[in-house]
Amino acid sequence: MTDALVCQDLTKRFGRHLAVDSISFTIERGEAYGLLGPNGAGKTTTISMLSGLLRPDAGSVHIAGHALTQDPRAAKARIGYVPQEIALYPELTGRENLRYFGRLYGLPRRTLQNRIAEVLDLVGLTDRADDKVGDYSGGMKRRINIGAALLHEPTLLVLDEPTVGVDPQSRNAILEGVDQLVAAGMSLLYTSHYMEEVERVCKRVGIIDKGRLVAEGTKRELVSRLGTSDRVELVLDGDITAAAEKLRAVDRVTEAVPTGTSSVRLLAEGSRHLLPSFIAAVEGVATITGVEITEPDLEAAFLHLTGSTLRD
Amino acid sequence: MLRALLVVSGHELRSRLRDGTALLIALVAPVALASLFGLALGGEDPPLRASIGIVDLDGGDFPTSVRREALATEELQDVLTLRDYADEEQAGAAVDDGEIGAAIVFPPGFSDSVGAGEGGEVTVLTSDSTPLAGVIANSMVDQISALVEARTLAVRASLDAGVPADEVRLFVEENGAAGPTLTLDADPMAGGKVDVAVHYASGMAVLFAYLVVATSTRSLLTDRQLGTLSRLRVAPVPQWTPVVGKGIVGFLLAMTSVCVTWASSVLFFGLSWGDPLAVLVLCGAHVLAATAITMLVASNARTDAQADGYNLGIAFVSGILGGSLVPLYNLPEFLQTLALFTPNGWTSTGLASLAAGGDLGSVVGPIGVVCLIAVVAGGLAALRFRKGLLG
Repeated sequence: MTDALVCQDLTKRFGRHLAVDSISFTIERGEAYGLLGPNGAGKTTTISMLSGLLRPDAGSVHIAGHALTQDPRAAKARIGYVPQEIALYPELTGRENLRYFGRLYGLPRRTLQNRIAEVLDLVGLTDRADDKVGDYSGGMKRRINIGAALLHEPTLLVLDEPTVGVDPQSRNAILEGVDQLVAAGMSLLYTSHYMEEVERVCKRVGIIDKGRLVAEGTKRELVSRLGTSDRVELVLDGDITAAAEKLRAVDRVTEAVPTGTSSVRLLAEGSRHLLPSFIAAVEGVATITGVEITEPDLEAAFLHLTGSTLRD
Repeated sequence: MLRALLVVSGHELRSRLRDGTALLIALVAPVALASLFGLALGGEDPPLRASIGIVDLDGGDFPTSVRREALATEELQDVLTLRDYADEEQAGAAVDDGEIGAAIVFPPGFSDSVGAGEGGEVTVLTSDSTPLAGVIANSMVDQISALVEARTLAVRASLDAGVPADEVRLFVEENGAAGPTLTLDADPMAGGKVDVAVHYASGMAVLFAYLVVATSTRSLLTDRQLGTLSRLRVAPVPQWTPVVGKGIVGFLLAMTSVCVTWASSVLFFGLSWGDPLAVLVLCGAHVLAATAITMLVASNARTDAQADGYNLGIAFVSGILGGSLVPLYNLPEFLQTLALFTPNGWTSTGLASLAAGGDLGSVVGPIGVVCLIAVVAGGLAALRFRKGLLG
């Protein structure tokens, strides 16, 4: 069976700005793949090219074996796209919205009716199906927004920040729905600002930075790139450049970088036991006024690979 | 392709029909405005009648022949009533009382004076409250004056040539007794009234056609703002489906609007726009151009509100320049030249030609130019859409 998605050397340039630079990755059938990257990294441009919204300048996209540029209708018929914003008509009811978008996929009337009922049930909106979407809560809109992409039972579901701006309860409902889809064997491409969502939903993660796919793998594989180093944030009072220099010389410290005007970020193994060494190292040039230690996780890996936090 | 187009067009049509404002612009506003203009300027013209007094202080042949000729034809008998008054004072009082609309006073010795080649003067009494009668009386006097001048010249020439005065007088009496031949043209304003009413009805139809099309094409931008355009574009349908689907609905609604305005002006005010087939083809070309121009606006605007602003500006500027609001002949010459750059200008010219009795062949030029505008604007819109909305 062909992979759900294969994209190779995908490139997009806006004027002189290279937004996406030769990105390649594959999503197997039934696999949930997370795409992480700071704002402006190229995630949305990548997703837009994968969904057929943007023409790539170079590279290729195959959805379930169908080339998006050569056979766009067959390829698009196999994608379910959930845009970041609520892409629905507020003056129409939930059912009317689903019917309209379902008809665009050429579903026969009876099949469409059945699918609308199934999707409404899946997103928990059967009892509000005939209310106008404009009257829905934010969470309900998000759920029906996902539902509209499921009507034609796509091979690959592309979710672009599906939980932005929703309350925790609705967010949980959405994630449970996504879990169900994954459990049912649907292939997923998921982007989010919430690292824990990606960790929960996706088996494999690709990290995009400055238009390039800088790392890819399972969570364990990505975290292992940090070794067993902890991330340590030292808040200092004094000359932080000189302090960073001295901290780099401490045994088992692999990195010491000044961040801002009063802190130094370290990567160090067994950092909890190294605090006395840190204090001794900076003596004479600075005083440590605060310490934060983060053990290796996906967030730390992301920070290590991109130099910024996900929500920067 | 057709299935997707039907789905998008059907959705667009339902959205427009649910939108009360769109229906107001499409059906109510043009019909209401055309009706107002029709009531003000069209309908059955009141019969033209005028009562004119004659004060014959001359007693000669000239006033008698004027009276006889003025009532010589049936057409003039239907229009004109002549009443005799003894003197200018009585006639003036009758004019002031509204008994008659105007009066012509022939002074004593008028016929003799004309016969002797010395010319003569008549007095016209008019009233501001009956301008039509004044126009007719002056028209009669103008023709009398022309005749008097001609006879005076002829008599003088004869005398100068040495013909004895008695022979000249005899000649004038024998040959000039018939006096002037008066003719009254049909009321020049009556035809104008019918033309102006047709002009405004068709002008409103043409103007509002643009605004109706604009409501559909601007919904492309609404869809973009809602994000629903992205959903349309990721669906397995040809990429031009949203543009074409909305364009078709805009075109059909605008044609409906034009036809409803046209039908109402015919049914309620008895106006005729001319050859129906030619009117339909010309209006179809105009709506096509409007669709292309509004698409060009949609392809350049960032928001639907911005498109509304552009469209309103274009509609009224080209409406004014193109003669949809003010007849082209009322505009300064340079504005009449500018009108040639608007579809409204060509459509108005074509419609005026059809209202004056022209057929399809007489408006091939305007139809061709309006179609050319549609092709150019549509082509530019397509290029912009490829780079922007559908890029």
